[in-house]
Amino acid sequence: MVRPSRVVAELQPEVEDVFEEFRTCEMSTLARDGTPITWPTLPFWYSDEKRFKITTSIALAQKALNVRRNPRVSLLFSNPTASGLENPPAVLVQGDAEAPDEIETSVAGFEDELRKALHRQPASLAYGRNPLTRYLMDWYYMRLMIHVTPRRILWWPGADLWREPFELRMDDVA
Amino acid sequence: MWPEITKQLYQFESAVLSGLDEAGYPFSVRCRPYPDASDDEVLRVWLPPDTFLRPGPASLLCHRHDENLWNLKSFLVRGVLKKDDGGWSFQPNQFIPGPGIGGLPAKVRFFTRSRRNARRYLEKRGLARPRIPWDEINAAKKAISQELIRSPDE
Repeated sequence: MVRPSRVVAELQPEVEDVFEEFRTCEMSTLARDGTPITWPTLPFWYSDEKRFKITTSIALAQKALNVRRNPRVSLLFSNPTASGLENPPAVLVQGDAEAPDEIETSVAGFEDELRKALHRQPASLAYGRNPLTRYLMDWYYMRLMIHVTPRRILWWPGADLWREPFELRMDDVA
Repeated sequence: MWPEITKQLYQFESAVLSGLDEAGYPFSVRCRPYPDASDDEVLRVWLPPDTFLRPGPASLLCHRHDENLWNLKSFLVRGVLKKDDGGWSFQPNQFIPGPGIGGLPAKVRFFTRSRRNARRYLEKRGLARPRIPWDEINAAKKAISQELIRSPDE
């Protein structure tokens, strides 16, 4: 039996707060044998586009390679550490991703995301500050973009996964 | 593998279990896995009786970070999610350490492997190693860090 959901027609503010404030989500992509491979990642939510952007280095490209083979992904927001939110819901986004094979090295046009990343992870300011870290970490700035378009969003108030979740099917959103 | 899994697992309050739903999309839940009472080297997990998860390929992630998204620690276990009369279980078949596990040797391996991975990615596509615009990046970082000093809550 599949758990019934309380279906809603709009993305709720408390869910977008989670998208904006959680430091990480747990992103799953599908390996060649169909195993979901899940690692924490830093997502950027674009409310006007209703999609996420995630970046990864070409040195850690497995999730992008998985997406190119199978676009089905999920993003679970279940770790509220440092979010500042009180009793936030747990949110699961299931969607389809694209990972173009274009390598970005410039941060031009990406200032807002860089600002958010540096604010959240101040220690990353040190990357590339001296010749040694530039040599050791140039790969970090060879980035691939992954765009995730949500198809279904489920959320559990109070992060209580034993309760009936709310559900939003993005095809139903005007 | 099993001793490493149980040793690391006990250092986390919970884990993220990921499997597939009936449509073939990944589906993840937070849970508290614990070793089965038998000697079978499987983990038991309590899931809602009508969970969206289906038996099949699965993975278990433990991760944490501090308030500054630092002191990262994580590991992943690949395996198989099963359902039987005793409920749900996870049969591990591969332990994959992430950041924060393995100490300094693991960090050194991470940097050298990452440089090698990047080189292979480029070689496979016939691309030269791109030049990183360090001046542009560091100027942007400097401007942003000054903004953050002025308005730390931004």
